[in-house]
Amino acid sequence: MFRNLLAIRHLGPEAIEELLALATDFKGRIISGKPVPELKTQVVGMLFFENSTRTRVSFEQAAFYLGMKTSTFSAGSSSMSKGETLKDTILTLRYERLDGLVMRHRLSGAPYLAAELFGGPVINAGDGQHEHPTQALGDALTIMERKGELRNLSVAIVGDVEHSRVARSNAWLLSKLGADVRFVGPKTLVPSVMSMLPGRVYHDLAAGIADADVVMCLRLQKERMMEGNLSSISEYAAMYQVNRETLRFAAPDCLVMHPGPLNRGVELDDFAADGEQSCVTAQIENGVFVRMAALYWAFSPKITGAAPRHKVKA
Amino acid sequence: MRVLLQNGRIIDPSQDLDIIGNVLIEDDQVVAIGNDAKDAIAEEVYDCSRMWITPGLVDPHVHLREPGYTHAETIISGTQAAAAGGYTTICCMPNTSPPLDTPALVDFILDRAASPEAGGVFVAPVGALTSEMKGERIADLAALKRAGIVAASDEGFPIQNSLVMMRCMEMCLQLDLPIMAHCEDMTLAEGGSMNDGAVSAMLGLQGIPRSAEEIAIMRNCILALNTDCQLHIMRVSTWGAVELIRQAKYLGARVTCEVSPMHFAFTEEAVGEFETVYKARPPLRTQHDVDIILQALDDGTIDCIASDHSPHASHHVDVPFEEAPFGSVGLETTVAATLTYLTHPGILTPMETIRKLSTKPAQILRLEAGTMRPGETPVAQVTVIDPDLEWTVDKNKSFSRSRNNAWHGLKLRGKPVLTFCGGEIYMDAQFDGSRVAGIL
Repeated sequence: MFRNLLAIRHLGPEAIEELLALATDFKGRIISGKPVPELKTQVVGMLFFENSTRTRVSFEQAAFYLGMKTSTFSAGSSSMSKGETLKDTILTLRYERLDGLVMRHRLSGAPYLAAELFGGPVINAGDGQHEHPTQALGDALTIMERKGELRNLSVAIVGDVEHSRVARSNAWLLSKLGADVRFVGPKTLVPSVMSMLPGRVYHDLAAGIADADVVMCLRLQKERMMEGNLSSISEYAAMYQVNRETLRFAAPDCLVMHPGPLNRGVELDDFAADGEQSCVTAQIENGVFVRMAALYWAFSPKITGAAPRHKVKA
Repeated sequence: MRVLLQNGRIIDPSQDLDIIGNVLIEDDQVVAIGNDAKDAIAEEVYDCSRMWITPGLVDPHVHLREPGYTHAETIISGTQAAAAGGYTTICCMPNTSPPLDTPALVDFILDRAASPEAGGVFVAPVGALTSEMKGERIADLAALKRAGIVAASDEGFPIQNSLVMMRCMEMCLQLDLPIMAHCEDMTLAEGGSMNDGAVSAMLGLQGIPRSAEEIAIMRNCILALNTDCQLHIMRVSTWGAVELIRQAKYLGARVTCEVSPMHFAFTEEAVGEFETVYKARPPLRTQHDVDIILQALDDGTIDCIASDHSPHASHHVDVPFEEAPFGSVGLETTVAATLTYLTHPGILTPMETIRKLSTKPAQILRLEAGTMRPGETPVAQVTVIDPDLEWTVDKNKSFSRSRNNAWHGLKLRGKPVLTFCGGEIYMDAQFDGSRVAGIL
């Protein structure tokens, strides 16, 4: 049996720990040049309906390490541009006998539809404003490498919470493993009702990151200005930039994270981005190992045995 | 030809009647009720014991999709679904393609509805309020009224410009034509796909705030109050909407409103993991909203229940949530949902149930329907409901062409089993009345 990785919120702590343990094992083997278990005959479709170089390359690298074949599919050059529906695209890939899918889509929930239709493992590589599970896994691995464990850490997620799939996946993952999550951002970029997401909401940066062990910045899209959520970049930076001054509110050994691509001078300054506390490059590197774990976990549960915790649509 | 409905619970809100007895139909007219029909003899006799005998039901809000979207529904399939759902009169919405803004299209709809293949129920067209439903120029409402529309509406394209809405109300007052208004401030609602709340925040979906509905209701109520135009507000969903309508009624505005079963049976949590059949407009709200809607049904602030039957072809429904259209089919489940969620739990009495499903919508839209009083409807319109029949909704067992059914798989209690409209009879397969009584 295969498993879908659609959202962190469906996973229990055991499944998350299993994924992180797999990633740690793969990282050790790759770095020390030891062989990794391979998924040799498997072909995974890389469906990027929304442009993403970073995540796509990271998944392709992960698949390469596992000996898998990838079949890359981007919306612009496919029959989607000829008016084919998502449903028909997924069914086509199913009957072309692809073994699994990694899917990025601009609409929240689109991978659920794909999972329902495909009948094989589907890994969500980011759907709309909903979730980005492998980003959260990579971030968690990065934090654990520096801090030991996640339990009782306080983590502040700063910025455009409303539109961020990274914020949602991270909040679920961190809280499920015992961290204390805070959402920090302007009222115009935080949903008005947050009762079904794990974490307290702060609108003031200093209070939100006070004594935090980790500060995660979220990327700010320029469109938010056009949509009226913000007056200007400089106003945002003045209120929410993580920098040499504002980091003093956080714990002295606080980690600074960012899912990239960075807007230097907006979400963070050079001190925060490049300083000793920054984990930005580790996040990128660990992204590959957690994507290996995700592929392995979704395709081949033989060695793990743990039952999937999330609802798999028929 | 005489048909006798025997030993049923006769519930007719138009006559304040709730008795056990017989209803006699001769040719296509009700000729005697209760004691007057006690010893009647007829060629066809149906045993209606433990059933309700009610005026034919009236649905003020149905999408028949023809012309233009016949892959989703046709006048033929939609009227058949209506008959199966206990309705003898349905109002069809003007958001067809082209929109229902010319008398020729009204003629077309009435012709199709009268064709022998149709379900045999009356179709009362609702015309476009503005030309092409663009919200700019008033439609030729006088001509449309002569052609047979019973109300005017821009349905899912609510008029945003207050001046245009005021002019429409002035004209409709002059023509004595009710306006049916879907109330939504599109500057707040545009791009949203479910209630702006806890679930939308979790799923990462853009929300539709309750303010979008309430601001539009408030504006329309104020305009109705100041013009004295008759305004019927379609499918309310928030507690604030209910309070605003209550206040408008208190101030003397000629305002009525409806609710669709989705909005009293489900909350935003029904969306679950992006289930497109629960994408409703207005969106499914919270339990507090449902609680206030139930109260308002009980106290009469909400006047009637509409199916808001919204068929969509499956290739429009099997898509990511944000791309899916709004709404669910409902003609064949509205009575059952009403009985299950309102009548059996004691929120509505049987009399109030039938008032909201028949007599009241007929009064609001001034239709010759909603009563069994002899001579008050052009032909007899009678529905027999088995209030205790338990059944499980199967989207594939439907007269509708569409399968976007929010009720699929749910067990409901209560079902219309016999729909009598003039000479036409629809009989549910589970109705065994004729077998029991035999045919004379």
